Amino acid sequence: MTTCHRQASGAIELYFYDELDAVERTQVGDHLRSCAECRDALDGLTVIRAALSTRPVVDAPRGGDWSAFMRRLNDSTAFERHIGSLSRSDHRAPLREQKASPRGTTKVVTYLALAALLTLVTSGVAYVARSTSRTAPVQPPQVAAVDATPASEAVGGPATDRSTEAAFAALSEQHFERSKLVVLGLTNKDAQHALEADWAYERGLASDLLNDTRVYRQAAEERGMKTLAGVMSDLELVLLQTSLADAPDADALGQIQRLIHKRDLVTKMDSATMTTTGS
Amino acid sequence: MADSDLVSRAAGGDPTAFQTLVERHRSMVYRVAYQFAGNHHDAEDIAQEVFLKVYRSLDRFRQDAQLTSWLYRIVMNACIDHRRRQSPASSAPFGEEAERRMLNTPEECPGPEACAYGGELGAVLQSEIAQLPHGQRIVFVMRHHQGLKLSEIAEALGLAEGTVKRQLHAAVHRLRGALVHQRVAAGERV
Repeated sequence: MTTCHRQASGAIELYFYDELDAVERTQVGDHLRSCAECRDALDGLTVIRAALSTRPVVDAPRGGDWSAFMRRLNDSTAFERHIGSLSRSDHRAPLREQKASPRGTTKVVTYLALAALLTLVTSGVAYVARSTSRTAPVQPPQVAAVDATPASEAVGGPATDRSTEAAFAALSEQHFERSKLVVLGLTNKDAQHALEADWAYERGLASDLLNDTRVYRQAAEERGMKTLAGVMSDLELVLLQTSLADAPDADALGQIQRLIHKRDLVTKMDSATMTTTGS
Repeated sequence: MADSDLVSRAAGGDPTAFQTLVERHRSMVYRVAYQFAGNHHDAEDIAQEVFLKVYRSLDRFRQDAQLTSWLYRIVMNACIDHRRRQSPASSAPFGEEAERRMLNTPEECPGPEACAYGGELGAVLQSEIAQLPHGQRIVFVMRHHQGLKLSEIAEALGLAEGTVKRQLHAAVHRLRGALVHQRVAAGERV
């Protein structure tokens, strides 16, 4: 049990990590000469440092192979560029020029306003579709890409924001319904008995849903819908891993299944939109 | 080429500049992510998230700032965000320690000479670090492993320096407890 007030106050750690000013350092140094408890605490820190230094430094993926990491990152940044080109009027202008150009800004605002309008119309259609059938057919990715534009920024006003958020949540729910088929399929898949064709089909579905998921995730982030964005991000990761896996190998599938379980993805997909819409 | 020039070019749409930037700093980012997460799977996720955030905010980087400081800030926040996204309940069947063992045992085997007390203690402490609350863990990793000053950690995390000091104190207190426990266990074995 700690009885010395210097140790209890954290002064010994600060001394060890050289976080004290000159005066305090001298005071603690003097104290250490007369306090066995604090000397023990300091020795303990030295042992901790020595012991941790025996651990291997891990600063690269397994086997030092960055290729999969870089492929995944390139894939993501390519998509970011694609998204950026959707929300900019001039695809070729670099980021800084875009921000500096008043003409470009006006165009972007106009574009955003149009996108907001499209979002409202699309979501209206989605509501009607939902009320007539719970099992909506797979929609083409282009629809989601338009929906992802930050409508609330363009339209403004709390009431409109709420309605676009509700519409967005409804669309997200449909997207989750579609994605759940893939996620549940992956969860129940047995790598030992999975056929190549089966796996190819699963990968194809994951790839199809991946781009939409990214668009939805980014749109949710831009709208400040953190919970929804978090679930989209988890889903994106699962779909990405699935689409990158070349064959039905047990390691890859095991990793994907752990990811799904660990993030409790199915439950989160069920609850994310309810949280957002307040239903 | 200087980091700031690479950032400038990358922000201007040059993918090669961004790739060079990533290649230059990925080891540092991965190291921190791994020290925080304790397994490759989460470390890769965190490192991906970091570079995506960098990519998205290239145009917001101040040319007079240090890129490494900026990166550290992003890494620390990505670590915390990553942890927040994982619900404790759902991770129960796949505990950190179990996963760490499952994923990392082959390459982390310390080798015969390190199986002595020091190596064993290192493994115990590393496992203890992996179980620290995420705030304490990131503060300990950044101060102990990366050598950042507490004031820099506080600024990056948007916390008061006193809070960061308390987090470090709590982390060290817990590691000291593990150390004492291990010493007792080692004494009993002798």
